[in-house]
Amino acid sequence: MKQDFTLEIHSDNNFSVLNRIVNILNRRRVRIKKLIAYEDATDFRRGVAVVLLFTTADMIEKVKHQLEKLIEVEHAVYYEGSSEYCELSSKHSAQVV
Amino acid sequence: MDALLTKTKIAELEKTPAPAKLKITGSESLLESLIAEGTDLIFGYPGGAIMPVYDALYHYTDRLTHILVRHEQGAIHAAQGFARVTGKAGVVFATSGPGATNLVTGLADALIDSTPLVCITGQVFAHLLGTDAFQETDVVNTTIPVTKWNIQVTEAKDIAEAVAKAFYIANSGRPGPVLVDITKNAQNEMIEPVKHKRCENIRTYKPKPVIQQSQVSAAAALINGAKKPYILAGQGVLLADATEELKSFSEKTGIPVASTLLGLGAFPSDHPNYVGYLGMHGNYGPNLNTNQCDVLIAVGMRFDDRVTGNVSKYAKQAKIIHIDIDKAEINKIIKADIAVHADAKEALGALTEQCNANKHASWIESFTQLNAIEYEKVVEKEFNATGILNMAEVINCLSNLTNGESIVVTDVGQHQMTTSRYYKYKSPRTNVTSGGAGTMGFALPAAMGAKLGIPEKQVVAVIGDGGYQMTVQELGTIMQYKIPVKIIVLNNSFLGMVRQWQQLFHEKRYSCTEMQNPDFIKLAEAYSIPARKVEDREHLQGALQEMLAATTPYFLEVVVGKEDCVFPMVPAGAGVSDVLLEPPTN
Repeated sequence: MKQDFTLEIHSDNNFSVLNRIVNILNRRRVRIKKLIAYEDATDFRRGVAVVLLFTTADMIEKVKHQLEKLIEVEHAVYYEGSSEYCELSSKHSAQVV
Repeated sequence: MDALLTKTKIAELEKTPAPAKLKITGSESLLESLIAEGTDLIFGYPGGAIMPVYDALYHYTDRLTHILVRHEQGAIHAAQGFARVTGKAGVVFATSGPGATNLVTGLADALIDSTPLVCITGQVFAHLLGTDAFQETDVVNTTIPVTKWNIQVTEAKDIAEAVAKAFYIANSGRPGPVLVDITKNAQNEMIEPVKHKRCENIRTYKPKPVIQQSQVSAAAALINGAKKPYILAGQGVLLADATEELKSFSEKTGIPVASTLLGLGAFPSDHPNYVGYLGMHGNYGPNLNTNQCDVLIAVGMRFDDRVTGNVSKYAKQAKIIHIDIDKAEINKIIKADIAVHADAKEALGALTEQCNANKHASWIESFTQLNAIEYEKVVEKEFNATGILNMAEVINCLSNLTNGESIVVTDVGQHQMTTSRYYKYKSPRTNVTSGGAGTMGFALPAAMGAKLGIPEKQVVAVIGDGGYQMTVQELGTIMQYKIPVKIIVLNNSFLGMVRQWQQLFHEKRYSCTEMQNPDFIKLAEAYSIPARKVEDREHLQGALQEMLAATTPYFLEVVVGKEDCVFPMVPAGAGVSDVLLEPPTN
């Protein structure tokens, strides 16, 4: 059964990393509902992407491992539902403002 | 006197070491880095955006050999052939735009077949990026899905580090292709010479997992209690250099071993525990007994759909142990009861220690009995055919004449499946084929690369008439560099495998699969390659012997039955135990 998942990806902040992440989701035809990506506030060489996805538990687990195969990705974690996404999103928006 | 003074002065000058170059170009930095990484052979094709590199290469011919191919696809497949037989990363040069995009098929092929490559592409000047300049293509974004990693370098100072990372990533963990795109200004830019430093670590990249003893113990317990355990060996065994470990494990535990297409050669085909080749056109015993075993031990294989058939009917009765270095492969297709996330060499070594000595004679005998049914229904008929030649007898004859010891490079289609079934591979890294991608046109250039990688080995390319014509221009490369590869074209004047499917599943509607071919003999002779055509059984063995004895490249065309099919066959959508030994009657 499909449901919301918040996927958090920690990586190097290189050119094209975001493309690589989105490519994997696209290839698996995983629906992206929302996405935020930002540089690490203390180290611009690192970054985080947080994606709100609508997919199955089986697919999110597979996608997580495929993302972790990317050379620049340090690790990926996911949570059921959208509350983590909303929390991270509002926290990051507040920092920008 | 003056002359003597001059001579003395010259002698003194000759003793003085040449001053180190104060500055080098980015192109020279690239070549120095390639040499430092152990490269001595490059396959490539020059063009505008990579001209500075080729200009620098002019002064490196004592240390770097460049093979000028006839198309960039030929370069990358040649590099794949080189990498597959040597285990070293193949190196490719191409220019920007079409030069780079011509690499895409080879990159996709190398990625799915875990082949280490380092591709260097030229790119337009950095200030022209994104302006639709002449021969500008966004190569990095184009190749993201078909590379293990790629990078664009716009400053000369970054070239050495990028090359070091490229080799490290290409060769480590599950190997794969890497692309480094270098802008022309970076190739021209003068920099202080930097000593190349090999990359040994990348913060975010962990290529070799730490083996978990709990996983090994759980797997060993399952194996020790099994009545019908069964090993499926994939290319991961070869990549991990774990063939001896696999043999020791199988011999101690008495477990039968079957091989995937890319795993052929990982276990000797003449070993009593070897039960055959798996998959859509694999042997009867290995396919049927997949659904009879109680513990299935998959080593360095990824449960490709050509191996599993319909996954809902695949080994449902068995407990699955999956050993793989790539965590994303575990549970991707087939759910593992026990996953051993590890390098195959380490995992097999640990399992051999923890597993009990055992014998499974009656279980192995069941494979023999099933394979005997296949022999009677399929093999015997092919070997004792009358009338027009068939592919099976050609490959069987080749296998006997070479004692299964040549490197055999195949393309894609019926001839590939027939070779996989009938060539008796005995050693690691002797089977080179396009497995996951199924790239027609792979074999001819890959055979060139394989021969240049291991010149002392006999290298035979077995190709269909369709695939041969996809990269036939590489005969020019073979001619120019006198690469003594042996080329067999099994000519049925059809795209044979597509035709077979049309026959079996599309009521013989042969839509666009029949080919009118050129005179292949004249074509080979145009490239100064000795050539012969065989159309009857009587001359087959002699022609193969003549080909194998040649010290030059040699082309042999064998005319085979137009409407022959490859059996056994697991039809698309069927389970592995629904394997057909002959065409369905209705």
